[in-house]
Amino acid sequence: MEEEKGLVETKLKVRPVKKEREKKYRDYPTVVDNSTAAHDFWEPIVHLGLWAIKGHQIVKGPWGGGTVEQAKKRPPREFMVIDRASFAFYSHSYGLVSPFFQGLLEAKLTGTKCPKCGTVYCPPRAHCWNPECKVADCFDNWVNLPLTGIIHTFTVQCLAAAPFEHMLPFSMGWVQVDGADTTLPMLLHIRPKEIFIGKKVNIEFIPRKSRKGDLMDLYAVAAVPGEKPPEWACMQKDTREMESVENSMKATLKFIKDRYGVDNSPQTRGW
Amino acid sequence: MPKANRRVAICGGGIFRPDLWHGENAEEGVAIAYQDLLRQCPNLGADDIDAVMMSYFSDHLNQQLCMGWIIQDYLGLHNKPGYRVESGGSTPLDALINAYYMIQSGFFDVILIPGWEWMCEVDVASTNEMIASAADTDWDFPVGGYYNAYYAAIEVRHMQLYGETCEDLGRIAVKNHNNSTHIPFSQWVSQRGTAPITLDDYWKSRMVCWPYRVLNNAVMSEGACCVLMAAEEKVSRFTDTPMWITGVGLGTDSMRPGDRTADFVYAGFKDEAKIYPDFVKSPKTPYPDMANFASLHVAAKRAYAQAGITNPLKEIDLMELFTPYDGVELCLYEDLGLCGRGEGKYMIREGVVEPGGECPVQLSGGLTSTGHPVGATSLYYTTFLYWQLAGKVKEICGPGGLQVPNAKRALITGHGGTGCQGGVIIFERD
Ligand SMILES: [Zn+2]
Repeated sequence: MEEEKGLVETKLKVRPVKKEREKKYRDYPTVVDNSTAAHDFWEPIVHLGLWAIKGHQIVKGPWGGGTVEQAKKRPPREFMVIDRASFAFYSHSYGLVSPFFQGLLEAKLTGTKCPKCGTVYCPPRAHCWNPECKVADCFDNWVNLPLTGIIHTFTVQCLAAAPFEHMLPFSMGWVQVDGADTTLPMLLHIRPKEIFIGKKVNIEFIPRKSRKGDLMDLYAVAAVPGEKPPEWACMQKDTREMESVENSMKATLKFIKDRYGVDNSPQTRGW
Repeated sequence: MPKANRRVAICGGGIFRPDLWHGENAEEGVAIAYQDLLRQCPNLGADDIDAVMMSYFSDHLNQQLCMGWIIQDYLGLHNKPGYRVESGGSTPLDALINAYYMIQSGFFDVILIPGWEWMCEVDVASTNEMIASAADTDWDFPVGGYYNAYYAAIEVRHMQLYGETCEDLGRIAVKNHNNSTHIPFSQWVSQRGTAPITLDDYWKSRMVCWPYRVLNNAVMSEGACCVLMAAEEKVSRFTDTPMWITGVGLGTDSMRPGDRTADFVYAGFKDEAKIYPDFVKSPKTPYPDMANFASLHVAAKRAYAQAGITNPLKEIDLMELFTPYDGVELCLYEDLGLCGRGEGKYMIREGVVEPGGECPVQLSGGLTSTGHPVGATSLYYTTFLYWQLAGKVKEICGPGGLQVPNAKRALITGHGGTGCQGGVIIFERD
C-alpha cells in the first residue's frame, strides 16, 4: 500500500489549467495586466496541494504531563506524524496608496502630505492618523521625494523567514527619506562595518525588468562611498561585536552556499 | 477603572509543560493541563464553569480554524459560552484581561482560560514567516520578513540613544537561562539540562540578527496551560491562596514601528526630546520612537492607577515580563517605570532584577528559555506567579526553586507585534 501511495504521488504533474481565469473584477476594467503568467503558473500548483496526506513518519517520543524528568522516565510512545501541503494564491489590492507602488515601477519615490497638519508620510498614508486631523484625506496630495535619506536604525540579518533565506546574510533598516516624517524599511547594500544610525544614504532601484512594485524594488547605498562610522557608532565601537558579526556572516555565507548553491559573498554582490 | 466593586482572583493554573515538540496534539495537551488544574482544585467541576475564554494566536500554524471549538468539545465544556481573543503575542494576557472584565462586570462568576500553541508543524523558517505575517504585509514583511530583525533594529536604536552594551543583553540572557534551570517544566531543561550558563557561553552563541545572539531570542514551543479565574464569592471553593487581580491595563501602538517617529497619540511625551544625544536627530514625535514601547507604558500607567501603585520598584515584589527578545526586557524596565528612560542598563548591571534583587524579573526564565507556545505563554507565567504568591515554589519546583520570601504583589506583561499591543496585570495575595 505504501509503495502504491508513493507512485500515485509521483504521477501527479503540474498541468496548466486551460479554463479562463476567474473574473473577480468583471465590472471594472483591468487596464494593465501583468498577472496572467503568474496565475497560469501558480494556480495549478494551488490545486495540486489538496489536503491529501503526502507522507508520514512514526516517531517514538515522550508523553504525558508533569515535569521534564517525569516525562523522560516513562517508556516512549509511538506517534504518527503526517505531512500535508497547503497553498493559496492571493490577489491583494494596495488600495488608495497604489500610486506609491506604481511609482516604484518607474523608479520614483513618493509620499503623501496631510493637507491639515502638513505631516509627510513615507510609507504613505491615504488618511492622516494625527487625531487632530480627524482621518483627513491625503490620497490626492502626493509629494515627490528625493532619493536620499538617513538611516534611522538597522540590523544585520544572519537568519530570515523562508522566502528571504537564500539572500542571507544582509542588512536591513528603516530609512527616513529626506522630507518625510516617518521611516521606510529597506535593504541596505552597505557593508556592516560602515553602517550607523544617522548615516546619509542614496536610494537606488533594481533594474526595471526585475521590479515588482514592492519595497524590494529599492535599496539604500552609502551616500559617501567608503565613509567610516563615527567613534560613537554603537556596532563598530565594540571591536568584539564587529568580529562576531563578521564571523556570523562568514558562517551564514557557507550555509547558504551549501543549501541553495548561491554565492552571496561581498565580492560577488559588490557590497 | 471599573466602577463596580467586586474582587476577582486567579484560583490556580494547570500546565502541560512547553517543549520543542510534543507527540500529543493540541487538544490532548490542553486536556493534560486541565487534568493538572483539576488535581489542584478538587472541587472544580464542569458545572462550576460559566464560560470558557480561549487563548491561541495562530490559525495557519496548524491549518485549523476554530480550534477553540475543538478544545471546548474535547474538555466536555461545549455547552458553555466560549470566546476567543487574538492579539498576536499579547493573546494570553489579553484573554486574562477580558475574562477579568467579564467577571468584574458581574456577568459571569467563574471562567476557565485554556491557552495553547503548537508551533512546530512547519519548519522553523516557515514558522517565522507565518509569525511575521502579524507585521504589516504590504510594508514591513516584504523586507526580510522576520520579527527577530524588527526587534533587533528597535534595540539598535535604543542602544545608540542610551548606551547599553551587548554585555548588558548578555547578562539578561544569562540571568534568564539560569533562572530557567530551576523550573522542572522548562523547555531549556528538557533540551539542555540544568547546568548553568555563563557570559562566555553567551559570547559563543551564534549571532542571529545583530545585536541578538541565539540566547537572546524566544524559543519555539508547543504546550498548554489552563488558568481558573473566579469572583470573590466563589474563590474559597477552589483555593485557600487566591491571587487577586488588583489592576489591569491594555495599550496599543502603531502597526509599523517605523511610523513611531510621527506617533501623534503619544505627543504628550514632548519633554523627552531633550534626552536625545546631540549626534542623533530627534524625530517629529520623540516618544516612543523606534526605541521604547509606548503601549506597555500606558498599559502600566492604567494598571498602576487601578492598583494604587506610585513607585513600582518599591511596591512590586517580582515581575514576569513578556520578552521575546532580551532588549525588550531592558526597555520595559524603563517603560514600566522601574527607572527613567535610558536607565534600563543599570537595572541589570546593579542586580536589581536578579534573583535576590529588589525586584527580580523572570524568575521563571521566561520566553527565551522556559518556553513560548504563544497562546499559553502568559498563562504559564501567571501560574508561576501564583506559586510565588502562594509560597509554593519550593514545593512544586523542588528545594532549588527561586521563591521570593513573603512575596505579596507581582506584575505580568503581555506583548504583541512590535509592541503594537501590550498589557499589564497586577496580582496580589491576601
Ligand atoms: Zn494631519
